[in-house]
Amino acid sequence: MPDPTSLSSKDRIAFHGTLQQLLGKVESGEMVPKLQASHAPPCKFWTAFQVINGIRHMAPVIHGPKGCTYSVASNYKMGSCEYRGVPLEPTSCTAQNEADVVYGGEGKLLEAVREADQRYHPDLIVILSCCCSGIIGDDVETIAEIAEQEVGTKVLAIRSEGFGGDFRSGYEDAFRALMGLMEPRGEVRKGTINIIGARQGPTYTEWTEDLDELVRLVRAIGIEINGVLCGGCTLEQIRRAPSAELNASWCYDWGQKLGDLMEERFGVPYARTGQPYGPAATEEWVMGVAEPLGLEGRARELIDEETAAVADELDVLRRCFQDKTALIEISEFPGPIRALSLARMAEEFGAHPIVINLHPYTVKERMPSIKFLLDEGQNPEVILTEGLFSLGSFNVSSSTQREVEMIAAQYDDAIYVGSPLRQPGVPQMNMTTITGYPQYGYAGIRNMARLVTSSLQHAARPRSRLFRQVLYGGEHG
Amino acid sequence: MQRVPAPGCSGRCCTGVNMAEHSGAYMGGARQDGATRCHDPYLRCALYGAAQTALGIRGCCVLSHSPQGCHQLVDAAFGWQNADYTETQTLCTKLCEDEIVHGGEELLVRTIVEARELDVPIMFVLTACGPEIVGDDIVAVCEEMRPQVDFQLVPIPCAGFRGDQNHGIDLALEALLRYVASTDGPSTGDARTGGSASVCLIAPHANANPTWMADLAWVEEILARMGARVTAVLSHDTPLEALWRVPSADACIVLSHDAGQSAADLLAEQYGVEQWCRDLPLPVGFTHTRNWLLELGRRLGAEAQAEAMIAQGEAMVVQTCRRKGLQQSAMHRAPAAVVADATVGIPIVRFMAEDMEMIPRLVCLRSGQAGTAGMLQDELDELGLDARVIHGADVYQSKMALAEVGPEMVVGSQIEQHAVAELDIPYVFRLVNPTSRYRMIDRAYWGYVGMLNLIEFIQNDWRDRYRSKHRRYKARW
Repeated sequence: MPDPTSLSSKDRIAFHGTLQQLLGKVESGEMVPKLQASHAPPCKFWTAFQVINGIRHMAPVIHGPKGCTYSVASNYKMGSCEYRGVPLEPTSCTAQNEADVVYGGEGKLLEAVREADQRYHPDLIVILSCCCSGIIGDDVETIAEIAEQEVGTKVLAIRSEGFGGDFRSGYEDAFRALMGLMEPRGEVRKGTINIIGARQGPTYTEWTEDLDELVRLVRAIGIEINGVLCGGCTLEQIRRAPSAELNASWCYDWGQKLGDLMEERFGVPYARTGQPYGPAATEEWVMGVAEPLGLEGRARELIDEETAAVADELDVLRRCFQDKTALIEISEFPGPIRALSLARMAEEFGAHPIVINLHPYTVKERMPSIKFLLDEGQNPEVILTEGLFSLGSFNVSSSTQREVEMIAAQYDDAIYVGSPLRQPGVPQMNMTTITGYPQYGYAGIRNMARLVTSSLQHAARPRSRLFRQVLYGGEHG
Repeated sequence: MQRVPAPGCSGRCCTGVNMAEHSGAYMGGARQDGATRCHDPYLRCALYGAAQTALGIRGCCVLSHSPQGCHQLVDAAFGWQNADYTETQTLCTKLCEDEIVHGGEELLVRTIVEARELDVPIMFVLTACGPEIVGDDIVAVCEEMRPQVDFQLVPIPCAGFRGDQNHGIDLALEALLRYVASTDGPSTGDARTGGSASVCLIAPHANANPTWMADLAWVEEILARMGARVTAVLSHDTPLEALWRVPSADACIVLSHDAGQSAADLLAEQYGVEQWCRDLPLPVGFTHTRNWLLELGRRLGAEAQAEAMIAQGEAMVVQTCRRKGLQQSAMHRAPAAVVADATVGIPIVRFMAEDMEMIPRLVCLRSGQAGTAGMLQDELDELGLDARVIHGADVYQSKMALAEVGPEMVVGSQIEQHAVAELDIPYVFRLVNPTSRYRMIDRAYWGYVGMLNLIEFIQNDWRDRYRSKHRRYKARW
């Protein structure tokens, strides 16, 4: 590890140390875990909607104005249903107006639920509260109970007013609410698992292709999947989820809350494994599922077969990463937990990984997962640059480009892993191309071997003037 | 709720819309109280419309005083205005529970102070539902902060519960005009001096053409050809100083049937600015384009130029269709439907019936400002069409009406493309927002090139429909 003070522009480095040290600074308050005013992730309402949007034949009744409603429909539903090949289902609301804010909207909500039931014939209705209904104190839970009695369809309420928590709390509260739909753990369905922690599909970090690879692997060892919660699952699959033999997650970060809750309430064991990037993590993931089900033998055979089938690609990855410094930059992509998974994979192939720009805010929001990864022995080097904390999204992006270029110049053997929004002048793996998915499992190994080969072959090619000027502004022209 | 046809509407009108909505001056705003309680809206809220309007001022900063989720609406508005991220900034106070309980004015002050590091000439402060309900006084905060910052500060109260996005456009336009009236702007001269007539264009962005900027550009071009000067556009890429020229304009034109009329009324009342083309459907197709050009020619004393433009334009359309080919077989007497905003939806009815020989049987308008119901009815009467009409339609109402009416062709959006997937409706022409068709070049619907654009889009969607999804056998090479 070079001494950070050796960096020529050390004033651009806000932190240089290990993940453990960064966590310590965030926990002690030395680094403030707050995003600048120009950067806003989705609110709790948006993320709660993301989760329930992954349930088939679910009619949401958003107790709020039209803006919240159309926004999630447009952002999460239109693209999602086209990517995943599912029909466009309704996104309905009470269209709260000034009168509802003054006089309350509970009656209107009850009528809206009745109408939603008549209109859409759903298996499930989910009431989501927004800022308006939350502030004026409309009792969405009671309305849900009353409505359920009337309409004969299951009605769930989630308090998801946007000011009520950060984006993560929306996911967690929605997963927690789903527990209310689950039936007690009855006779355990041998050889059956749930994949948990999914949301509707093509979110920023969640790709159907990755889920498909997990499904392929577990089916290959004779395991049945009860459902992917909530990535296109049915109400029935949620109901009987506690009777599965095991929960496994597509991503530890998003699955852990529901996994912990189901373990606590229903006694469903939870396979605590990280994301299956590279052979070791993939083997851990597969064995993490197979061992509790007594399928180690078949799993071992599968791992051996699959590993042999990607032997050439593994050689490529070892050759390309060996003795390199892997700069994994995440402020744009691939996201913090994937970045840590990639760091582990790069290390496995002989590289020294450095994770760049893991914002203290992200550390706070993903504290349980980061602690889990540290417990598992992952403690990569981390660099945060000053640009990460700039005000203005363009300022962040253009400053970070310069800083990543500066960091890359400190190493004569660096390889950059991340988004093509950057081009730091070293070989770079484009982790954002859809043709590079899945990244998980053995199919992922094939894709990453292809991507890393391309990155080395074309390392000397310059950034186009068009992209440079579009992305970084006129000064880079 | 009593359902009664509104004055000027046929007896087949008003499905799902009550009298209050029709008799009210504004159909899309807070006064709307639909008979149905469950809405699957096509529109976002007032905050979004206000953000669209503010982001039309070149190089501005928009600060949403809101929870972080509302910032996503501002981001969407940013895209709708084709804003440039290297010069336009968006910020958010990201209100949490603390600010909802104790008030968020202090946080707003801190964020405005923080923004001093950005090089912006003006900041618009927009409020969401939460801060308005708890009583944050953004007008007072802006007043207090003005001496402390070197940019102008314009508060726009535009909580989502106040109405839909078109109402938000009206709120923002009124706020802009109030601000102009109350402050001294840079000296830009009197728009009425200089010989040629000066015109202010209002609400070009309240138009569901995904590249509405081309419609605006067409209007600017024809005004220039008739010798008029566009003194300001409210708003699109509008230089800040242009705002202070608005009160001295000779005339204004509202470029939307969905928003902008209240701003035109304000200009007439306060500054005597005359409104042109007020009762004319916007210039889609031969007849409306002719009427528009003749009206402008008359106003500008440029009748001869108008006649020449009409003659040239019509000849160009005819000749282009002769040379390129004009598909008739599908369109001729085909029962058709329109699902759109009033800006596209009303004028396109005549284009479909007169120019394209279709038979409009259903018109679902998702929005429309005062007077549009009567305008549409006049159109249908003149054309001898007995079409079913739904004002203020939501997704569900449109889908049900499409199922009942059973047209062969639908002019609509990506939503209708999905909605009719399970109905036996062969063609959806995706002409209005949202559409997944990417357009790098802005394409007008207005005027003569606009007609050709519409014909081109229709023909491409028609061809796509009959492109087989099956491969009956494989090629040998």
